[in-house]
Amino acid sequence: MRWVGLISLYISCFSALAVLAAAARRTVARPEKVRQLNLLSILSTLLSTLALVLSFLGSDFRLAYVARHSARHLPAIHKVSALWAGQSGSLLLWLLIISLYSLAVQRSRLLRKGGFDLRVNAVIGAVRVLFLVLLLLISSPFELNTEPPYTGAGLNPMLQSLGMVVHPPLLFAGFSGFLVPFALAAASLWQDDASAWWLDLARPWALVGWAFLTAGIVTGGQWAYSELGWGGYWAWDPVENASLLPWLSGTALVHALLPGLQAKGRRWWSYVLAALTFALTIFGTFLTRSGVLDSVHAFSGGALGTVFVVALAGIIICSAALAWRRRHCLREPEADGGQASAFLPGALQAGRALLLLLAAVVFVGTLFPLLSRALTGREIALDASFFNQMTIPLFLPLLFLLGWAPLLAGGRAEPVLLRSAWLPLVGAFGAGLLVQGRLGGGLGPALAAGTAVFGLATHLPALLPGKTGRFRPGAALAHIGVLIMLVGIMGSSVYTDSIYVSVDPGEELQFAGYTVRYTGLTVAYGADRYTVGATLVLSRGGREAGRLTSEKTFWENRTQPSTDVGIFSTPKEDIYFNLAGWQGQTAQLHLQRFALVSWIWFGSWVICAGVLAALLDKQVKVWHSRTL
Amino acid sequence: MGKKKVRIFILALIPALVLVFLAVQAFQHSAAYYYTISEAKSLGSSAQKLRIKGQVLKDTVRYDPAIPLAEFTLTDRQAQIGVVYEGVLPDNFHHAQEVIVEGTFDSRGQFSVSKLMLQCPSKYEGEE
Repeated sequence: MRWVGLISLYISCFSALAVLAAAARRTVARPEKVRQLNLLSILSTLLSTLALVLSFLGSDFRLAYVARHSARHLPAIHKVSALWAGQSGSLLLWLLIISLYSLAVQRSRLLRKGGFDLRVNAVIGAVRVLFLVLLLLISSPFELNTEPPYTGAGLNPMLQSLGMVVHPPLLFAGFSGFLVPFALAAASLWQDDASAWWLDLARPWALVGWAFLTAGIVTGGQWAYSELGWGGYWAWDPVENASLLPWLSGTALVHALLPGLQAKGRRWWSYVLAALTFALTIFGTFLTRSGVLDSVHAFSGGALGTVFVVALAGIIICSAALAWRRRHCLREPEADGGQASAFLPGALQAGRALLLLLAAVVFVGTLFPLLSRALTGREIALDASFFNQMTIPLFLPLLFLLGWAPLLAGGRAEPVLLRSAWLPLVGAFGAGLLVQGRLGGGLGPALAAGTAVFGLATHLPALLPGKTGRFRPGAALAHIGVLIMLVGIMGSSVYTDSIYVSVDPGEELQFAGYTVRYTGLTVAYGADRYTVGATLVLSRGGREAGRLTSEKTFWENRTQPSTDVGIFSTPKEDIYFNLAGWQGQTAQLHLQRFALVSWIWFGSWVICAGVLAALLDKQVKVWHSRTL
Repeated sequence: MGKKKVRIFILALIPALVLVFLAVQAFQHSAAYYYTISEAKSLGSSAQKLRIKGQVLKDTVRYDPAIPLAEFTLTDRQAQIGVVYEGVLPDNFHHAQEVIVEGTFDSRGQFSVSKLMLQCPSKYEGEE
């Protein structure tokens, strides 16, 4: 298997290089041959990944990578997911996903017109070659162990969860999805195409990337929430920020690409944002793999960081040089009127400015330890409170602006606009007052609740069947999802309780309106572990509402135990239970309550449904029309 | 045209100033300075939030999970400092190679940790 994997990586690399060489010519001779070569490269990548998957499934511990991340007794699903538990496997998975996008580009009849797909795949191919070289020379998953062990080190228990099965592939699908709009833009400029056709082509790819990235970030947060045991889903850690940065610029990109808008500077901004978003996906990888920052949960460093920083510089220089050489392609033709509303372009500009400011704040905050070390000689770290204080005043106006989207897109004149906005505005004001009066918590939650109610009130009518306005149901759903997430984030960060108690079996206590009874510790033995668990019975008004179990598992071949938290989730709140320790049967319980957490997960599903609706929207036909 | 530009400039200036003000506030609230143990000790007492990196001296750890309260000594081979942490020690605390503590000196001159961060060389990789 090792040879299959390694040889197919080499084949993939050389055929990708051949495609690059062929597609870089002024006119591509024999395009079908080049496509076949590209297909060969993609399939070899697939074969190589399959070889590694089979090595994992077959527990082939001659491979050092397999031995480090898997073990004989691991369930099959985690033998597969162990593939992306480490660095080289993650790179291989990422490469595979980029390759699949490349295949999709090649299969698109629209893009094959005039051989445009070849140029696009040449750009994508350059990135693929970078990954292939990394996999072959610096971080190979096919390295051999000198003495293969009987069983591997196993997968870190924290990674043995559904969250870590889906989170990395989704994230990489998001990152790679943003490569395609950039490749389309770069290929279009390369061909000296002044028509800006690529703007319409790039939109569905940007949407796909954006939806995957959103899902990837949220599943990552969900994993942290249910596995790490501290009760949060977002800590403004460098690793998290690294995925948020492309999301912010990608959101701006998706809006820059909106069809049918003769907004000023649309081409230029779309190009800049496409390049920026792609560069930020690479930057994030550099940040988290190079060890330049004390991230609590980054992979260890190595030469990879250097390669990525060089690649990053290359991307920035090349895309800037390309934009300069072909600046006439990015110049806007004279506007031919037909504005939806005079306010719409302004609102989109303001939204873009806010998104980019947010990205700048996150960027500076994340790099602050490095910046301060360079400037003052002393490292200064900024914690979550900095990010919260800086981003909330930017996020709230942004989301308030989002609430206006359906009204502005409707193309109505000023007085009508205000007339259709006053009812939602009154509702928003009422909601703010209600939250302030009933729940308290300060200005923040009141503003957030008002923003959410305003947005929901303006967006819900766009979902009514039979609507044929410019504001499509897909966009409405995605916006509503964002607002639902806002409610969840507000609730779970403001309305919380936490107690830490020592209890004996049979003891009862009151928490967050529930009567909590501790029944005692249970011990279970497995092949390589033993587990100590505590179960709590939650009841309300004398009726049992649910049970919560938190466990600590001690592993035979691991020095540290792993903790599973118990979560009792309702739409209103989550009760979060962590077994902190015990002496005899007396247990220390850490109980927390977070309001509205499940709204965050639900909101992300709504966002993805919205993107799906936008992609399938027959009226806009994102996939096939040349003019919209 | 000139007048309009001035107006736009002034309109943009206000949010920019608000943002700068917020940034300064947020910075003062959140900045934690990295100090070595001997630097921190010579500082003695300071209201400034500090971050200290070091190894835990294993036999100095005293932990009462019922409160929860932990006391331990950190070392960086040149100096040592005793710290207190009111919180649950994470599962992998005893095996972390290095920890970063963030906190301040309390009124008795003891370093009181508000945030405990562990550094494992490869936290998400399997143990060797």
